[in-house]
Amino acid sequence: MGLPNTNIEQLGVELESALARVTAKEDLELLRRDWLGKEGTIKKLFKEMGALSAEERPVFAAKLNALKEKLESFIETRTKQFEQGALSKQLESQYVDLSLPANASGAGLLHPITRVERALISALRHYGLKVAYGPEIETEYFCFDSLNIPKHHPARDMQDTFYTANGQVLRTHTTSVQARVLKKGGAPVKILSPGRVYRNESSDAWHTSMFHQFELIWVEKGLTLSHLMGVMALVAKELYGPRRKIRFKPKYYPYTEPSLGLDVALTSKEPKEGEAQGWVTVVGAGMVHRKVLQEFGYDPKEVSGIAFGFGTSRLAVERFKLRDARALYENDLRVFKEIR
Amino acid sequence: MKLHQSILERLIELPNKEPQAVQDLLDDLGLEVKGVENTPGGIVYTIESLANRGDHLSALGAAREISARLLTAVKNPTVATELSSKAASVVVRVSTDKCLRYSLMDLALPSELPIIPEVAAVIGAESGHPPIVDYLNYLQLEIGQPMHAFDRDKIEGEIVVELSTQVEQIRALDGKDYKLPIGSILIRDRKKIVAVAGVIGCENSMCTVDTRKVLIECATFDPVSVRLTARAMGISTDASYAFERGSDPEIVPSALKRLAHLVSGSRGSVGGSDSAHVLGLSAYAAKTIEKREIALNPKTIKREMNLSKLNDVEIKTRLKHLGYSIKESDGAGLIVGVPSWRLWDVSCEEDLIEDFVRSMSFSAVKLSLPPVADEPGEFTEMEVLQSRVEPHLLGHGFYEVISESFYSKEDLAALSALDSAMADCHVPLANALERTCSHLRATNIVNFAKLICFNERKGVSSIKVFEQCRLYGLKGPNTSRAGAESDYQFERDVLSLAVSGRWFENEFRRPPTVEELLFNLKGVLEGIVNSVGGKLAVTHSEDPLLHPGRQGLLKVGRTTVGFFGEIHPSLMTQYGLRSGMLYAELDTDALIKVMHSQSPELPSEFPSTSRDITLRLTVRSLAGQVVKQISELKPPHLDLVQIVDDFRKATEDFRRVSFRLYFQAADRTLESSEVDSAMQTLLAQLKDRHGLELAG
Repeated sequence: MGLPNTNIEQLGVELESALARVTAKEDLELLRRDWLGKEGTIKKLFKEMGALSAEERPVFAAKLNALKEKLESFIETRTKQFEQGALSKQLESQYVDLSLPANASGAGLLHPITRVERALISALRHYGLKVAYGPEIETEYFCFDSLNIPKHHPARDMQDTFYTANGQVLRTHTTSVQARVLKKGGAPVKILSPGRVYRNESSDAWHTSMFHQFELIWVEKGLTLSHLMGVMALVAKELYGPRRKIRFKPKYYPYTEPSLGLDVALTSKEPKEGEAQGWVTVVGAGMVHRKVLQEFGYDPKEVSGIAFGFGTSRLAVERFKLRDARALYENDLRVFKEIR
Repeated sequence: MKLHQSILERLIELPNKEPQAVQDLLDDLGLEVKGVENTPGGIVYTIESLANRGDHLSALGAAREISARLLTAVKNPTVATELSSKAASVVVRVSTDKCLRYSLMDLALPSELPIIPEVAAVIGAESGHPPIVDYLNYLQLEIGQPMHAFDRDKIEGEIVVELSTQVEQIRALDGKDYKLPIGSILIRDRKKIVAVAGVIGCENSMCTVDTRKVLIECATFDPVSVRLTARAMGISTDASYAFERGSDPEIVPSALKRLAHLVSGSRGSVGGSDSAHVLGLSAYAAKTIEKREIALNPKTIKREMNLSKLNDVEIKTRLKHLGYSIKESDGAGLIVGVPSWRLWDVSCEEDLIEDFVRSMSFSAVKLSLPPVADEPGEFTEMEVLQSRVEPHLLGHGFYEVISESFYSKEDLAALSALDSAMADCHVPLANALERTCSHLRATNIVNFAKLICFNERKGVSSIKVFEQCRLYGLKGPNTSRAGAESDYQFERDVLSLAVSGRWFENEFRRPPTVEELLFNLKGVLEGIVNSVGGKLAVTHSEDPLLHPGRQGLLKVGRTTVGFFGEIHPSLMTQYGLRSGMLYAELDTDALIKVMHSQSPELPSEFPSTSRDITLRLTVRSLAGQVVKQISELKPPHLDLVQIVDDFRKATEDFRRVSFRLYFQAADRTLESSEVDSAMQTLLAQLKDRHGLELAG
């Protein structure tokens, strides 16, 4: 005796047809409800199986179980497939093109002149030297008179000077800071003075009304010309590397005696045969003039002084291969961003 | 100074005549070669005379330096063996001590004075001057002594050398009129001024090609007097340039003999009537110039050069080649006599050391280093401040810039239009050549605006810059920017910042609004203040150069450390800025003060608890001010107040601002009830004292 209206083979065909109609995860839920749910076809047939004979029942149950397993397997497989598909879709939708520009500016940079100044300070701090600053609107006394540049000396022509309405000057060199430090008295004096200086001249590629200098003054017992030149060479090597050739040559500054300069070769490379080696003067220096020491109450028999000054603007142009001195002060950020 | 190799070679034997070799030699001797020309008359070097030494301004001066280097003798130029024993036809009277030497030589010239080849090669065949002037110009190149030729027939009566006592006017031989200041050394005849001593002759007595009788003036004048006169006249001649740097007072007789030799042969006084010959000579010497002697210890040279084995003989020999006389002193040292051509610049032992080192070459000095200090040089307060602030700024992508310390009258006018006090607080420069340098800056707004405009034109889309700079200002009423508290009367150091365009460099995302940029900048300023240990508060400010609704004063406690905001729209228009520009200025002295006043507080180890309140604020209220008010009411255990929301409904005329208050005790975990109690008290106080109520 069989279940009324139940042809298990026909049921298999219907199930196949139902499986074939599944296209979404929601269809699987409906399939589960229609076939495996409390009122589902397979659940119902299991309940009705008691009406079958003892011989028919196991055969029917086996067929029905086969259908159930097939259906469950199908649901499990397709569930995974649908979930995987959904995940893939989600991931696809969450794609980010990381080649697009970042939300950052990158690190900024210090100005080339500051970088040169810091390198110089770093090289010299070991000698106990420390930084000092001074006014830029200066008296003629500290800028000239106290430095052995009397009022009508031609040396004043070398430093075309800005005057304020009340007769003060814009300092033409950071040597005025040295003068102020010496005025305070005491020894040893070990000072580095970086800063802006001014010349009242028309601007061109290498002359700007404002530029930067960096000076050292060291007054102590026993300092000699040999010490001065040793420190100059040390700093030049620090700035230009040990392979760059240097040379010393006579110079003249009213506030030093003897006075000298340091030239560096334009490149580290040896010139080819017949090719001239270019030089550029980067430091002016000398032993502090006895008149300057005496002006501030020092006895030249007791102490001596060494002093030198770099044109930091020129050094920065050299070091960072800038076009000329104007490039330092026109502040083209496209240029600054390139000189790391 | 022009140095002709042909003249130099007549004075000294050059070991290598190649221009590069000569240039290297001159450079190493301190005669800096600025240019080399190959002329028909030979190689000519342009020398920069940095030493301001008159004796350096001739081939003879260069030859002496070379002589001391090579230890070969200078071949002194040939001179006439004798000059006339007769006095010149004109009496000379000198009435000022500013004239140290004065000689006049009567010279008769033939109808055509030939130019000898060695002079012609240097001066050129067609100089356009009377031949006697060519000879004088040649002599200045050769021996450095400027001389002047008067047309004898144009001189009336005696020659008087005196100082002017009133402003005089002359027409010089360059055809121009000049006013002479009081105190100028004048050369006069009975009726007129015929020359300005050491500077230029007058047209009224100048020689022409037809002149047959000349008076040659050869003199030494006080350098400062010549300089003052030349400066007042606004003129610099070869003669004034040389006299200003000091001429050799003892060269006068030999210079005249040299001229006589060149124009008339070895016996200058005995020429025939058809050749140049000396007719007479008058000489005046103000006083005997004492020989200067300086003590020199050779050990000092050895110590300075770090050359213990340097031979004393070498020291003496080189100095002698430079013209010094040497005597052994009673002690271990030397007594060095200074030559007449060095009286103007050699006065102490260091001058002799310099001359010796230069003659031997600085490359001979054995280098050494002073001992390294026990302690490195200590950092200044400014350096400590920089070390804290800079990493913060660089991390935010700010670039350091250095802008000019000046701006122009037009810039000042733009500032003064917004702030009348600006007109009075600037330091004007009295003599600026460039019109853009007429005033020292009292604010960095102008230079930053120009910088931004420049970079905008270059296509830079994100501009974030800072400058550690100095501002300048006169003290006076309403000139708070002038920095009256500075160490220097007119100067103060500030850290100034400017932002324009995008915060980030790329153009990819939506550009930030001005409000967003302001808060980004405020974040940077907070970071700066935090880096020195302070906590930033912003209050109302009324800076006329900034947008009235977009600016704030920066305070740490009661100390004002700066201000920030968007620059005034009229300045943006003035400087053609396409994007807005934010500006901030922090006073570095104030930041250093903050840095010193802060001591770190360690956080409590016990948990904190928070309460949120939303208060009703007027539209122009400062939420930051409310944070300060809450803090000042000091609810028990209040640790921190944060603003967490700011909302305004379109239909309401007030803002709802939410604050989160964190409470924390240093020694225990707080009970909820005590925090609630503190909040109730606080709300009551806010209402009573500040009229602040919870938003409904």
